Amino acid sequence: MKFARVGVVIAAAAIVVAACGGSGGGGIGKALKVGITLPLSGSSLASAGPARDGALLAIKEAKIDGYTLEPVVLDHAVNGVHDPQQGAKDMTTLVSEPAVVGVVGPFNSSVAKVQIPISNEAGLLQCSPANTNPDLTKGDKGKELRAKNPDKINYVRVATTDDIQGPAVAQYGVNVLGLKKVAIVDDTETYGKGIADAFAAEWTKLGGEVVGREGAPKGTTDYTAILTKFKDAGPEAVFYGGVTATGGGLVRKQMPQVGLGDLVYLGGDGIQDGPGTAENAGSFISVAGEAAANSFSSVAAIAEYPGKADFDAKYLKEYGVAAGAYSASGYACAQVVIDAIKAAAAKGDITREAVRVAGTDPATTFETVLGPVKFDAVGDTSQKIISLYKVDLAAADGKGDWAFDKQVDYK
Amino acid sequence: MTAIAATSDAGGARVPAGRVVRLLVLIAVLVGIAALAVHNLGTEQAIEQGVNALTRGAIYALIALGYTMVYGIIELINFAHGDMFMVGAFVSLTFLGTILGLEGPIYDIPVLIVTLAATFLVTMGIMGLIGVVIERFAYKPLRNAPRLAPLITAIGVSFILQNLVQLRYGPYQTNSPKIFPDTWTIEVAGATIPVLSLFIIAVAVVLMFSLQMFIGRTRLGRAMRSTAADRDAASLMGVNINRTIAITFLIGSALAGAAGVVNGLQYGVARFDDGFQAGLKAFTAAVLGGIGNTVGAALGGFIIGFIEVGATAMGYTRWGPAIVFGVLVIVLVFRPTGLLGQQLGERA
Repeated sequence: MKFARVGVVIAAAAIVVAACGGSGGGGIGKALKVGITLPLSGSSLASAGPARDGALLAIKEAKIDGYTLEPVVLDHAVNGVHDPQQGAKDMTTLVSEPAVVGVVGPFNSSVAKVQIPISNEAGLLQCSPANTNPDLTKGDKGKELRAKNPDKINYVRVATTDDIQGPAVAQYGVNVLGLKKVAIVDDTETYGKGIADAFAAEWTKLGGEVVGREGAPKGTTDYTAILTKFKDAGPEAVFYGGVTATGGGLVRKQMPQVGLGDLVYLGGDGIQDGPGTAENAGSFISVAGEAAANSFSSVAAIAEYPGKADFDAKYLKEYGVAAGAYSASGYACAQVVIDAIKAAAAKGDITREAVRVAGTDPATTFETVLGPVKFDAVGDTSQKIISLYKVDLAAADGKGDWAFDKQVDYK
Repeated sequence: MTAIAATSDAGGARVPAGRVVRLLVLIAVLVGIAALAVHNLGTEQAIEQGVNALTRGAIYALIALGYTMVYGIIELINFAHGDMFMVGAFVSLTFLGTILGLEGPIYDIPVLIVTLAATFLVTMGIMGLIGVVIERFAYKPLRNAPRLAPLITAIGVSFILQNLVQLRYGPYQTNSPKIFPDTWTIEVAGATIPVLSLFIIAVAVVLMFSLQMFIGRTRLGRAMRSTAADRDAASLMGVNINRTIAITFLIGSALAGAAGVVNGLQYGVARFDDGFQAGLKAFTAAVLGGIGNTVGAALGGFIIGFIEVGATAMGYTRWGPAIVFGVLVIVLVFRPTGLLGQQLGERA
């Protein structure tokens, strides 16, 4: 299936090339490429697949005078779960391909952590539709990742960071749902532990109490001991820091077994991976099943953007399925990369450096599908909006889906 | 080899003094741990976590039995055995979900019992057959080859099983129907114990006891013990070696299948790579208990269950694996053949 998709992409690219009469030129050449590096099999496909399709749509629509644009899609899921090592290899592949002038991806912060040093060294513009870990850009840890070229920002993202997302979920839990006591499980990864820490800090600050905290790495199948321990402390909710593929669904599924089935379940964007339908197998709702009721999650991006109806219609027409939570983010990231290429083209020759400078300039406002986006001095988006969702088991013909509740602007 | 022979005196009358001492030490340790758990966690938590540990340990123990039996009889560390457990989980979920079309719990007790019995029979039967077929084509041709050859084949078989399942079911968690109602619990001293956990522990104990009886009291069991002790001599005495080894694989794989069913009932999901973690733990259990010794494998499984759950209960979840392997190292330093293992080398 993956190969079929790649085939379609190649065929589409060939048509584009033929239509434009692609001809070589000086420097990088006239046939430009945009890398897409995402985890695209297994549980990861449910959330990252729509981001890829969004980016492909933007690349397909793009018109840059005198140049052709072609996507290079690389999948760094290994055995169905995002794999930082494979992500690093894929980034090296993209860097070594001279025609690649920009990259969309990755999806998971643990992958970004190993990819950024590579793309930074190469001075290659990279835009992530979904990374939320603050340490990827901010502070000393951000600087460490940019060790080769500390002053040349090359990595930007359209999702806002977990120092906003984690607290947003905490605020929702305390202020909107009226909860006081929470227990936390994380998957010990960059994203999972990071968002859990930010969530815990805000929860305490709001007067709530964190009554339990445990970490269990991916591959864990038995959470009953952890949940039994929590039960003793009497939490009203359990927060999961991590993604579905590393245990987000299993924790929820096992809660009824130890008598915690009635508790509220909270999570970040890691468990917001679409409906529980058969085509979306491996998603949070399909794994947790009936137990998914009363679960809440967030997405570190705007849900109700001005052009949403148009984009959704366009996406549905192109792919025959509804846009996912990250479709627009993938599209927006590709737009940023394409606009940067256009800006570089307008100034003369297209080089990686020119594209990088154009794509990370703090003065530039990018008109994306998500609305106007600016990047700050380290590459984080100016759009600091968190969207909140609740599981609706009756949706998607009784298979269950995430229902949008509200979005909060933290500007 | 000592192997299965170590348990041969199950039917004997004379009980060696060393055994009594060992048993007493074991009981003292268990009482100590229980007292410590109650003191630190409170009675309620201690009981509930104890049940969690027994449940997890039961699954490890069932898998460990297959490792230890195969090692006992042909001295092969069957690395594909963890994957047999995983395949068992998929056979059981396919039987329940696709063939019987079940989704949720069954509250009607007779129907539940019949369904469970059928699931165990079908899964254990199919897995037993798969085990025999794998032995016939992957290990038998290499029986007289250097020891490394079948070891590498076993790794190959492991990859084949994982990839076949991944091809058919996809690389994500597949739901296994949780037919045993979550709402069935009993109260003991304020602690809530799921009936499912008791059922799983009971299944494991019954299967282990049957296995002991089979090895200790039947002709085939005697054939297995004699093959383990000295294959050539057994062969000269008229034991059908090929059939005996095939039966060992049949039983070991059927037990892995049972573990797969139990795993599905308990956790409600299966993934194509579940066999790796579970296999590693079960192999550790087998080594801890004394590889080749069936009682040791069961004991090792429960010990690991208790260590892991204990670590979580005390708030050291992240240290669980480190403690497991730490204990393994310590045990192997003082008892190189494992807790219940006896001196190897009769064969060398």
